Amino acid sequence: MKNTEHRTQNTDFIRCEGVWKIYNEGKPYEVKALSDVSLTIDRGSFVIFNGPSGSGKTTIISILGTMDRPSRGKAFLSGNDITRLSDVALSELRKKSIGFVFQNFNLISGLSAWENVSISLVPQGINEKERRQRAEALLGKLGLLKRAGHSPEELSGGEQQRVAIARALINNPEILILDEPTSNIDLDAVHTLIETLKTLKAEGRTIIVSTHDNILFSSADKVFELKRGQLSL
Amino acid sequence: MKHLNLLYIAIRNGARHKLRNIVVILCIVAVVTPFISAIAILEGVKAQSRVSVSEGADIYLTMDMFGRNGIIPIQIADEIKKIDGVIRVAPRIIGRIYISGKLSTVLGITGDEKPSSVNFIRGSLPKDGEVVIGRKLADYLKLDVGKELSLGVRIAAIIDHDPFIMRKMYRVSGVFDSQSGIWASNLVMMNIDEAASMFEMEDFATDIAVYVRPGYEVSVSESLQKMNSFFRIQTKGLVKTYVEKGFNAKGGIFAMLYMLAFALAIPAILVTSGFGLSERRKEIGVLKATGWHTHEVLEMIFFESIMLALISAPCAFIISFAWVKVLNAPFIAQLFISGIQSMAPFQVPAVFMPLPFVLSFFFALVLTMVGSIYSTWRAAIVPPAEALK
Repeated sequence: MKNTEHRTQNTDFIRCEGVWKIYNEGKPYEVKALSDVSLTIDRGSFVIFNGPSGSGKTTIISILGTMDRPSRGKAFLSGNDITRLSDVALSELRKKSIGFVFQNFNLISGLSAWENVSISLVPQGINEKERRQRAEALLGKLGLLKRAGHSPEELSGGEQQRVAIARALINNPEILILDEPTSNIDLDAVHTLIETLKTLKAEGRTIIVSTHDNILFSSADKVFELKRGQLSL
Repeated sequence: MKHLNLLYIAIRNGARHKLRNIVVILCIVAVVTPFISAIAILEGVKAQSRVSVSEGADIYLTMDMFGRNGIIPIQIADEIKKIDGVIRVAPRIIGRIYISGKLSTVLGITGDEKPSSVNFIRGSLPKDGEVVIGRKLADYLKLDVGKELSLGVRIAAIIDHDPFIMRKMYRVSGVFDSQSGIWASNLVMMNIDEAASMFEMEDFATDIAVYVRPGYEVSVSESLQKMNSFFRIQTKGLVKTYVEKGFNAKGGIFAMLYMLAFALAIPAILVTSGFGLSERRKEIGVLKATGWHTHEVLEMIFFESIMLALISAPCAFIISFAWVKVLNAPFIAQLFISGIQSMAPFQVPAVFMPLPFVLSFFFALVLTMVGSIYSTWRAAIVPPAEALK
């Protein structure tokens, strides 16, 4: 982030200006996933994007998490327009500042839990011993130390989610983004998740969640309502 | 350390995608094995040919018969001996006959003019009514020194459109082996007069081998041409050139066919390496989502390709070695050695050199790279959300 003016600013930490996301643009089966979305998110806040299926929740958090690019509009992180960053710069941003937990976790099968957690450390030149130590420390915090050597196929939905959260946190990012975190886990695991997110927020992280499950609302600082790709605060 | 880590992950990936990698390795082995085998056989045959040519005569003389080699009077040998620089003159008769259904070569020689590449293993040179046969032929016919061999010597009459072949019994005076398995396996040596009678060419030879002192090849050739303008003179250098040209042509044709097979293999590898491509695409999406750079993903895939090539090339080399050395190169030797069927009746000469092995590694690497790098790059440059769809 070159623009240091905004680095320490707590308000407008994340900002969207007129963001559109249109799939198959110009074709008969064109889909407007987002229409002119503008919003701001403060540093250290816990925000939720709520809305029914197909409302654009996953699309907006994907754009904010640099997993996708908007068709039109701008998105800023600490004052820098992330929609104009190169592939290399986006990779650096994901590595250093953003942790993303996918709805279906997207753990790599065949790799153990600790290997999945530490996968982003591999190209950073960190040796296996340290990678394992760091991964196990995080898994320990999330109550999964005993399952560190197990592959994703051997873990329950809730355990897989915690491995995915650990993977998202391994580089100690400022921002943690979770896509529909309650959709693939049982109620006990949801309560564990809520406690985990509260702890992470207390550490000063900005947490962005997409969900249509109101069980998380009470923990949130702000809830954005999305309907047919448009914000209705 | 970063590169070692990427190598480690590449090795882990190799173990995780066993089926896909086994199929890719099998495809590469299927493409590379014939290449290594062909080069080994071609080099082996070339080496034997060079031995035969270098140990043969300095000049081969025949008559020019309308641009082809024609028979030459034996009596001319006495005149040739008088040319300055000539050491030895050996008229020969070379022809082909069937012995118990096996096409064999008959070599008629004078006195003790044994070909230098022939090593006697037992017996003596043939006299009148005697033959010396190659070890492989002796094994095939279950013959040994002292036993008798019946050979058809000439067509005596045509009875009801069928030739009546007059036969003659020969005593086997010796069994020989040769450095050149190809030429010696089906060879029958006999006195030149016996061969002349067999092929009905009394007083004539199919060629005259002329041995000269070092440095006299050109002057002797010129003297021979002056002696008779219808002489067809083939020097050792010329024979070597013909042999090399012949093998290079065969090698060239094979290389062309191989390149065609190679070109066809590329889409095959693309298809096979595409096993689990959607899974691989998702994995690349995950790596990118967790902060991997595109070049780091590509480096990991490059290591995977090297690993596959490192496994495939030795596999291909071992299979090729077994195919050629153990199984005696069935179905491939016939491409380089004329006159043999799918199974060669002699040990097919083969030389396994390091260069084809190194080349096969690079071929394997190119095939795996073509099959993986582009698709990986395509998956790595799109936003992770798209790769993960």
